[in-house]
Amino acid sequence: MKYIIAKSLDGALAALQDTGTGRARVVAGATDLFLQEQPDRLIDISRLPELQEVTLEKGLLRVGAAVTHNAASASGLIWEKAAALAEASTLLGSPQIRNIGTLGGNVANAAPAADAAVALAALGAEAVLFDSPGRFYVKPFAGLYAGYNCSRVDSCREILAWFLIRPAGPGQGSAFLRFTARGALSLPLANAAARVTLEKGRLKEVSLVVAPAGPAPSRLKKTEALLLGSNLSGKTWSMAEESASAEVAVRGSALRCSVEYRRRLIGILAGRVLSLAAQRAQRNR
Amino acid sequence: MDKQVVSFNLNGEAVRVRCDPFSSLLSLLRDRLGLLGTKAGCGRGECGACTVLLDGLAVNACLVPAGKAEGLNVETIENLSRGGSLHPIQEAFVEKGAVQCGFCTPGMVMSAHALLKSDPAPGREEIRKAISGNLCRCSGYVQIEEAIAAAADKLKD
Repeated sequence: MKYIIAKSLDGALAALQDTGTGRARVVAGATDLFLQEQPDRLIDISRLPELQEVTLEKGLLRVGAAVTHNAASASGLIWEKAAALAEASTLLGSPQIRNIGTLGGNVANAAPAADAAVALAALGAEAVLFDSPGRFYVKPFAGLYAGYNCSRVDSCREILAWFLIRPAGPGQGSAFLRFTARGALSLPLANAAARVTLEKGRLKEVSLVVAPAGPAPSRLKKTEALLLGSNLSGKTWSMAEESASAEVAVRGSALRCSVEYRRRLIGILAGRVLSLAAQRAQRNR
Repeated sequence: MDKQVVSFNLNGEAVRVRCDPFSSLLSLLRDRLGLLGTKAGCGRGECGACTVLLDGLAVNACLVPAGKAEGLNVETIENLSRGGSLHPIQEAFVEKGAVQCGFCTPGMVMSAHALLKSDPAPGREEIRKAISGNLCRCSGYVQIEEAIAAAADKLKD
């Protein structure tokens, strides 16, 4: 057993390859490590400076996968350009978890209602993954999930390095909301994130993602389409609420809540999160 | 079990420990280094009893692999009192009756310590947020909040 603190991205990739297939695994915050099977080697990428950066480059917001939730929630740039992600990072887990848990880990862990992942999905984020030094590829967010708690990010073979997000420009805004049994240290009964673009006071683009509703954060495409061209009235948000409730495919949970309760809850969250995203878009001139 | 030498700064002193790097920092502190002030509660990051500071930030020691401490500063509850005198946060906990069974107290104090290092004059909302990852089953939150507010005043003086 060996715990390796990676000093460079290339070094981490080389260590993954040198160890042999499946025997080494990448970690960052490592907060879920003790709940999972442990490999021979762990390669900790949390101290790689380039994976902790938040930058605007070539018209895209680039957010490092090793950015902790607290760093994301303290980032003025993320609040300005991708508010839903900052909001999700502020609400997730507890201060202790947010100090060490990372955005990349939140996604690669593939929990169905991971807060930051829901926000990233609504923001249309793409993931940049490396599988050997200098060789990277870009995957759409929806392609990162293989099933319940099962990621397509193979942490024994590749490193999730950055998320690329189209930054909010004039007339664009995003938001995230969650509903939990307690104010902290609680998985959400449901969460929702939205991103909207306005044109002449009407919805020109809508992205609406909710969870838990399947193995990955779920886009509600019918509701998105229904809302296009709508104004920002209470009637529109009521329509969004009804449509989202009808469209979402939910599971009940003996521990948390029934299907009916969750369906209604997701509808309410959808209406509210869209309204909040639209308010931000109106202010973003 | 394969062992690995992990070097870090513990309460201001450099330490080198040969240990299982995949075991938790909590287990390293309590079982190998004999620092029993950090409490073992849920073991899954849900109660905050094991809160320590890692490079100045509050973390759950039960969720940190020992190997992750390499090269970092670890501060535990044992670092707060000096020569038999309580730290102002500890004094405030005593004065405000913020200790009942006491099991959550070291974690609460460390979360308060992390808060007051970064925000010397927190409001009640900031205090509540700072201890939101720490459970007290004796339901003494009001006294704990008052103690942290009082500790902030003491530290200002």
